[in-house]
Amino acid sequence: MSYTELQSLESFREVNHTFPKTEDIMELKRQGKKVFGWLCTYVPEEIIHAAGILPIRITGYAQETELDDGNAYLYINNCSFSRSCLQMGLRGEYDYLDGVVAGSTCDGARRLFDLWQYYIKVPFHHIITVPRKYTERAHGLYYEQVAQFKEHLEQYLDTRITDEALLKSISVYNESREALKKLYQLRKLDKPPITGAETMEVLNASQRMAKEQFNQYLCELLDELAVSGIEHGSGARLMVTGSVMNNPEFIRSIEELGGLVVTDELCTSTRYWSDPVVLDGRSPLEAVSRRYLNNFPCARMVPSDERFDRILQLARDYRVDGVISQIIRYCVPYAHDLPLITDRLKKAGIPTLALDVEYGTSGSGQISTRVQAFLEMLETKKK
Amino acid sequence: MTTAENKSDIDLLVRTYRLMARMNRVRPEARLSETLYFNLLADYYTRINNAHREGKLLAAHTVFFPTEILYAMDIVPMHTEMTTWLNAMFLRRQAEILSKGAELGLAPEICSPHRGVAGIFALNSIPRPDVILWSNLICDNTAKSGELMMELSQSPGFFLDNPFQDSPGEMKYLVGELEDMVRFLEEKSGRKMDWNRLSEMVESTDREIELYREIYQLRKAVPSPMSALSYLELLSADYMFPGQPESIQYLTQLRDELKEMIQESRGTISQERFRLMTLFIPPMHLMSSLTKLFEEKGAVSVVEPLFTRWSEGRLDPARPLESVAKKSFLIPERRSMYGPLSQQALQDITDSAEQYKIDGAIYWAFMGCRHTCATIKIIKEKLSEVDVPMLTVDCDIVDPTINSEEEVRDKLEQFFELLEDR
Repeated sequence: MSYTELQSLESFREVNHTFPKTEDIMELKRQGKKVFGWLCTYVPEEIIHAAGILPIRITGYAQETELDDGNAYLYINNCSFSRSCLQMGLRGEYDYLDGVVAGSTCDGARRLFDLWQYYIKVPFHHIITVPRKYTERAHGLYYEQVAQFKEHLEQYLDTRITDEALLKSISVYNESREALKKLYQLRKLDKPPITGAETMEVLNASQRMAKEQFNQYLCELLDELAVSGIEHGSGARLMVTGSVMNNPEFIRSIEELGGLVVTDELCTSTRYWSDPVVLDGRSPLEAVSRRYLNNFPCARMVPSDERFDRILQLARDYRVDGVISQIIRYCVPYAHDLPLITDRLKKAGIPTLALDVEYGTSGSGQISTRVQAFLEMLETKKK
Repeated sequence: MTTAENKSDIDLLVRTYRLMARMNRVRPEARLSETLYFNLLADYYTRINNAHREGKLLAAHTVFFPTEILYAMDIVPMHTEMTTWLNAMFLRRQAEILSKGAELGLAPEICSPHRGVAGIFALNSIPRPDVILWSNLICDNTAKSGELMMELSQSPGFFLDNPFQDSPGEMKYLVGELEDMVRFLEEKSGRKMDWNRLSEMVESTDREIELYREIYQLRKAVPSPMSALSYLELLSADYMFPGQPESIQYLTQLRDELKEMIQESRGTISQERFRLMTLFIPPMHLMSSLTKLFEEKGAVSVVEPLFTRWSEGRLDPARPLESVAKKSFLIPERRSMYGPLSQQALQDITDSAEQYKIDGAIYWAFMGCRHTCATIKIIKEKLSEVDVPMLTVDCDIVDPTINSEEEVRDKLEQFFELLEDR
C-alpha cells in the first residue's frame, strides 16, 4: 500500500516520537504544573483533568525491546506491556510524574501498579477497585471507588474538584470522542482516506497530550481528510482485536501486505474513545462513573458476551472480511476469550488469524508470513 | 461440546485414594492423619460420583470459592483446579489433559491447571456439573475460565465478583454478590438455603481456621514435626471440606500428632539440617522424588507464608453471609499472592524467616501464576535483609515436560551445598 502523506498527521507523530518527554509535557513541568500517569482505561481521566492535572497514559517502548529490568522486577511471565512500562519507569523515562493511578483490572496491571508504588517514588498513588460486572450493585461500588479517588486527589491537592470543573472536562473529553467517531466513520467508506497505521498515530497521541490541543489537531486532520481525495484499500478489510497495542508499525506491516485495517477493538483505540459520558440527569461524577464501567468492555469483564456482541457489531458496521487477533504472551484475559470469540466470528462467516505477539512487535518475520497467508485466504474467499 | 455422565476417571481416583489409605494402615510409621487425608479425598470424590444418583446438584467451582454455601444447601461441590491437578498427578494424564486444552485454542501461557480444567471438561473425565460457579479470586485465569466451562458442559453458571480491596463498601458488595448466588442456587436446585445450617458451618469454619493457626504455630518447633512437603495435604482440607466434620477431624488429628511429637522432641526426619521456607508449590510430578531428596539431605519445609498463614480475624455465626465474605479476605493466598501488595504481608515473611529459624527459601516460580511471580524480586530482597538466601526454580505445577527431575535435583543440591557452606 502506498502512503500519501497527510500534513496534519505530523503534529501527532511529533508527540509520539518524543513521548514520554514531549516538549509540551516538559514545558508544563517547567511551569510547575502536575502530570499524572494512568494505567488502564477504567481510570476516569476527566477527574484528573478537572483537578487541573495533565493525565497521560503510561505506555511501554515503541518497539520490541530487551526488557532486562522488566524481567528482573516483574518476572518473565508477566505481559511484556507491564514489563515494558515498568522498565521505562525504573529507568526514569517517566520521572516527571506527580501521580500514578490504576484500576484493579488484570493481574498484570495490578502488579505493575504494586511495583511502581514499591520501587518508583511518586508523590501520589491510587488504585481503583473495578468490578467485573455491569449490575447496578457493581455501578454502586465503582461509583464509590471513583468518589474515593476524587476525594483522595482533593486531599493531595488541598483543593476541591467542583462539579463545574468536572462538567467542563466532560465536555472536552466528549468533544474528543465525537471527533474520533467522525474519524472512524471515514474508515467505514469503501475507500477510506486514512489507514489503520495512521489512525493509530492519532490515537496514541490522544493519550499523550492535553486534550484541548489534541482536539484542535484532530479537527485540522478531519478538515484535511475532507478535501484530500485520498483513497486507500482494494484488499481485505480487517479488524485488529486483542491486547493493548501502541505500535503503528505493526498495523503498517499488515497494510503493506495488502490488507487495510478499518477498525479495531483495542483499549488504545476504539475501546478508549467509543462511548461518551452521558449526563442524563445524573451528577457529573455519577455520569463519569457510569460511562467508564459501561464502556466497550475489556476482556476482563463478565459476561464476555457484551464484548463479543460489540466486536460482531463492529465487524458488520465496518464490513470486515477478517479479524487479526493479536494477544500479548501472558495476557490471560484475552487468551481465554480467544476460542470463544473465534467461534462466534466463524459462525458469522468471519475468519480469524490469531497471533501471539510481544508488546511493541513490528509484525515482521513469521508474523508477516502468517498475515500474508491469511490475506491470500481472504482474497480467495472473496472470489 | 458437552461432558457426559462419565464416572470412570473419578472412580479411579476414589479407588486410588482408598488403596493409599489402606496401605497407610499397615505401615507402622504412617500417621493416622495421612490415612484420614486419603480418606478425605476418597470421600470427596465418592460424593461427586454419587451426586446425581442421590438427586443432588453437582456444582463445579474454581479455587477459593465459598463452598460453605454449597454444603449448607446440600449441593455437592467439585473443585475444578484440584480435580484437574489430582487427575493429572495420580492418573498420569497430564499430556492428554493439557493437549485437549490446547486443541480448544487455549494458549500455553494460560496457567496449566486452567488449560487442564478445559481439558477434563472436553474429555468427559468428570460427571457433568449442573452448575458452574467461578470467581476472580484468585486471578484472571479463575475469572476467565467459567464461561468456557459453561460452554463445554452446556451448564448454567454464576460468576462471583470478588472485590479487590478490604473496605466496608467492597465487603458489602461481596455480601450482595453472595446473596445473588444463593438466589441462583435456590432457583437451580429447587431448595432453599438453610441459614441455620450455614451458621453452624461458619462456626466450624472458624474452628477450622483456628486449627490452621495452631498448626502454623506448632510448626515453629525444632526439629520439625511435620514432614518435608506435607503442607500440600494441609491445604486440601479447606479446599474440599471447609467447615465440615471431615476437615475438623483431619486437622485436629494432625494438630494432636504434632503436639505429641513436639513433647517427645521428635522430628519427621532423623537429622534435620536445613529448615526451609517454601514459596508457592513444587511441580506435582516431582513430589515423590523431592520428598526423597529432602529426606536424604535433611531438609524440611517448615513454613509456607503464601499458603499457610491466615490473616487475623474471626467469623461470626450470627452473621453467616458476612462471615463467608470475610473469610475470603482471611485466606493466606489472598494477602500474599493476590494483592494489593501489603507491607504487612512482606513483614510477615521476614518475621517468619526468623521465627521458624529458616536456613533458606525456595521459590517455585510457577510460570502460570503471573501475579505471584511478580513478587519474587521483592521477597528475595526482603529475605536477604534477614540473611536468608532464596533459590528460584522456574516450573510448572502440572505440566511434566517443563522440568526434568535431574535439572531440579541439580539446582536443589547446589542450593543445599550453598546452605551447607554457610
